[in-house]
Amino acid sequence: MLRIIWQLFTRPVEAWHTIHDRDISAGHALAQVLILAAIPAVSGYIGTTQFGWQVGGSVPVRLTTDSALLIAIIYYVVIIAAVYSVAWMIRWMGQTYGADQPFRRCLVLAAFIPVPLFLAGLMQLYPLLWLNLIVGIPAVTYTVFLLYIGIPIMMEISEERGFLFASAVLAFGLIGLVGVLAASVILWGIGIGPAFTL
Amino acid sequence: MTATSTVGSDETYNYTVVRQFAIVTIIWGIVGMAVGVLIAAQLAWPQLNFDIPWLTYSRLRALHTNAVIFAFGGSALFATSYYVVQRTCHVRLAFDGLAAFTFWGWQAVIILAAVTLPLGITTTKEYAELEWPIDILITLVWVAYAVVFFGTIARRRVKHIYVANWFYGAYILTVALLHVVNSAALPVSLWKSYSAYAGVQDAMVQWWYGHNAVGFFLTAGFLGMMYYFVPKQAERPIYSYRLSIVHFWALIFVYIWAGPHHLHYTALPDWAQSLGMVMSLILLAPSWGGMINGIMTLSGAWEKLRTDPIIRFLIVALSFYGMSTFEGPMMSIKTVNALSHYTDWTIGHVHSGALGWVALISIGSMYYLIPRLFGREIYSQKLIEWHFWIACLGIVLYITAMWVAGIMQGLMWRAVNPDGTLTYSFVESVAAMHPFYVIRLIGGICFLAGMFIMAWNLWRTIAGAKPVTAAIPAPAAAH
Repeated sequence: MLRIIWQLFTRPVEAWHTIHDRDISAGHALAQVLILAAIPAVSGYIGTTQFGWQVGGSVPVRLTTDSALLIAIIYYVVIIAAVYSVAWMIRWMGQTYGADQPFRRCLVLAAFIPVPLFLAGLMQLYPLLWLNLIVGIPAVTYTVFLLYIGIPIMMEISEERGFLFASAVLAFGLIGLVGVLAASVILWGIGIGPAFTL
Repeated sequence: MTATSTVGSDETYNYTVVRQFAIVTIIWGIVGMAVGVLIAAQLAWPQLNFDIPWLTYSRLRALHTNAVIFAFGGSALFATSYYVVQRTCHVRLAFDGLAAFTFWGWQAVIILAAVTLPLGITTTKEYAELEWPIDILITLVWVAYAVVFFGTIARRRVKHIYVANWFYGAYILTVALLHVVNSAALPVSLWKSYSAYAGVQDAMVQWWYGHNAVGFFLTAGFLGMMYYFVPKQAERPIYSYRLSIVHFWALIFVYIWAGPHHLHYTALPDWAQSLGMVMSLILLAPSWGGMINGIMTLSGAWEKLRTDPIIRFLIVALSFYGMSTFEGPMMSIKTVNALSHYTDWTIGHVHSGALGWVALISIGSMYYLIPRLFGREIYSQKLIEWHFWIACLGIVLYITAMWVAGIMQGLMWRAVNPDGTLTYSFVESVAAMHPFYVIRLIGGICFLAGMFIMAWNLWRTIAGAKPVTAAIPAPAAAH
């Protein structure tokens, strides 16, 4: 599994072919997501409790351990739910784009696309804004790249169809992101928000 | 091209006015976006106004919004609506003289805006900053526009009125209404007037206008464009004609009520705010009706992607339309708005609609239109692809920078210490924005660079070309 992840960065097209040919099981894909999604969640927990975010050059803002733990758990669950819903969406939209792959295949696809983001989650250990941006922006870009090359290979459709398919998945992802954003603002607004240390 | 029978007379389409508007679309697009890039740079480095009054952000911001919305977007709408209404009605555009007046009149409005706004002459009404003499000229041009457009529909040779014309028609009528009501003012001198409304009524009229400028100018008009150029470029019929009619009426009915969400937690009565929020949430359904119709139409044309980069612009435009019409209702929820309002999240939202939807669908339409108006093949398909990728990169940088910046601002402004004092002073939140403003500037530069690539490509396409005169094909017997 580690070899494939490494390959995703060195020879991405071949990596997708390997993933496709191995016919990885759903349980296997899910296990990978459970492990990798822990990287941003745990890093975020340590980062927000030990180092804290520095905003505007003032004293770092740290969270209490209770509050940070709750947020890390929610964060972890949301990431897994996001991967699962993207997989479900890929399966559902497949019919439109002439692909009829089993859900297992879609889950594997959704599990491998965000690998760069999971790994970049490590940067949340030290929440320095510019550092997170320098690592985060290439990670986002590479994730989108993996999506566009991965869809046609995994769903066994032509590249042109894959382009449309991937754009639709990207739009769904953005909508999900905005939805999570709005949901967290609402929760915060009604008082379920992080607690800061003094 | 096979020979088609024509309507029998030597009547031709009026392509002159379409050509004029299409070319100024590109020019005003570059001008308006260049001003945008300048003021984005000023937000990152304020000294870039060089202490010259007419280069200050406060004056150029209005110039930027007017230039991109009314000069770039407006010209694109004029060009495409004049083209579409003639082609789908199988008749020459009505009243050549009036059509020419709309072109020169609209250019005069733009020039007057470009002079008065930097001079600081403004009504201070957002998206309606132009003073009363210019407003009167706009009204005259707009009435002429309506006469030409509906006059053409009245003379149509087919019984059916194609759905794109419904959207264009709704946009023309509603913008006339919005402009006249919102700009009602009492002049005190040639360049100064006071709004006819006072206090919160003035604010409500302003945002009834402001939001419907988005709904009818930037949405209904561009949906008209979508409903012609998407099926044309895909060479397939609309996915669902019924859906197009249903979402048309739903959109028209719901949009008009959504304005109060711009005035959450203000002096506006609470029930009006809640009504605006509920209507904004309902608005998601008709908005997505249009997106689904467009995307499903394009989905069947996937095999054309290999040879046709224009399709990419159309599909991504529809994706951004779907995304921003989801984001809008989310932001209209009062609890979300309490955080997001007055922050850069709003700016990001506007630009995912303006760059992602309005600009990309216009660009795609212009790549379709301009070579046809001059009877030439596009100079370079490769450059269209370059334009596409650099534009997408620009949009993504822009909106992600604004998301992060906006949420950070919102959180910083509401952070309080245990003793009830504010954690951050306002200027600390301004300083924290600097990196995001730089990223936003880079995004803007990317998008503008794409426009230059387009201008070069189209210039090489049409340089030395003879304008086309097109005979009017006879309507198919099915009609």
